[in-house]
Amino acid sequence: MVRFKHRYLLCELVSDDPRCRLSLDDRVLSSLVRDTIARVHGTFGAAACSIGFAVRYLNAYTGIVLLRCRKEFYQLVWSALPFITYLENKGHRYPCFFNTLHVGGTIRTCQKFLIQYNRRQLLILLQNCTDEGEREAIQKSVTRSCLLEEEEESGEEAAEAIE
Amino acid sequence: MRGAGGAAWAASPFQPRALRASVRCRAGSGLQRRGRLWNRVLSALRAPGAREFQDCGVGLNAAQFKQLLISAVKDLFGEVDAALPLDILTYEEKTLSAILRICSSGLVKLWSSLTLLGSYKGKKCAFRVIQVSPFLLALSGNSRELVLD
Repeated sequence: MVRFKHRYLLCELVSDDPRCRLSLDDRVLSSLVRDTIARVHGTFGAAACSIGFAVRYLNAYTGIVLLRCRKEFYQLVWSALPFITYLENKGHRYPCFFNTLHVGGTIRTCQKFLIQYNRRQLLILLQNCTDEGEREAIQKSVTRSCLLEEEEESGEEAAEAIE
Repeated sequence: MRGAGGAAWAASPFQPRALRASVRCRAGSGLQRRGRLWNRVLSALRAPGAREFQDCGVGLNAAQFKQLLISAVKDLFGEVDAALPLDILTYEEKTLSAILRICSSGLVKLWSSLTLLGSYKGKKCAFRVIQVSPFLLALSGNSRELVLD
């Protein structure tokens, strides 16, 4: 009833350079987003967004980032993300941009979306891959994810049947 | 709208004729009523010295004045709100007073950034906002006595 509500922004870091994603660090990212908000929305925006701001999840291999912000000011954060054009690490500048995939009220909904998104991405990767070894590896992961999906569904049905 | 007190009006100490230009902000809300720009005059500075400096002898031309306004909004609200279409309708260099126009969604932002603007090139200064109205005509007259300047 009386609690602080947050919005979780699930974003993907897209860049040409493969080293860009590997150099992602939560402190670097947090300072980058805060500086961008200060530039785009001024002192007011920087103060409003930095209260509940946190980087909750970061995957350097896929470039998936989960940002948290307060519900009242999540639009300020969201609108500042397209203004991030490069990532700076140890003097190297990598051009990149942030793609917002999902906005959720809880981490759980973002996780559900991320699982579905990854399944779809695996299928796309399967279509686009050229190497035979890669193809087998991706097919194995696809079958495993399908099995997990069926297990989840049967688990839910069993739970419903018990009730 | 000219009443019997026309002559008295001219001699009135509170509405000096010489200082016609006042900082007024006219606000227009965007596209809410059938696509018409709904204007709301923000404020009119009628008294002399719409902008006051602590020590005199500071001159600003219109371009510098606008630059100052935009930089004030940019400090507080960022680049996005510094790009709001702000117009200076009139500007008087002697009294440093002006009539500004802005859309009504930007009124609060402009007014708050004017309030929080403290200095220009190291010199302390203050903005005084006298009148706000959606109609430019209202700024040139006194609506209580129904007399136009």
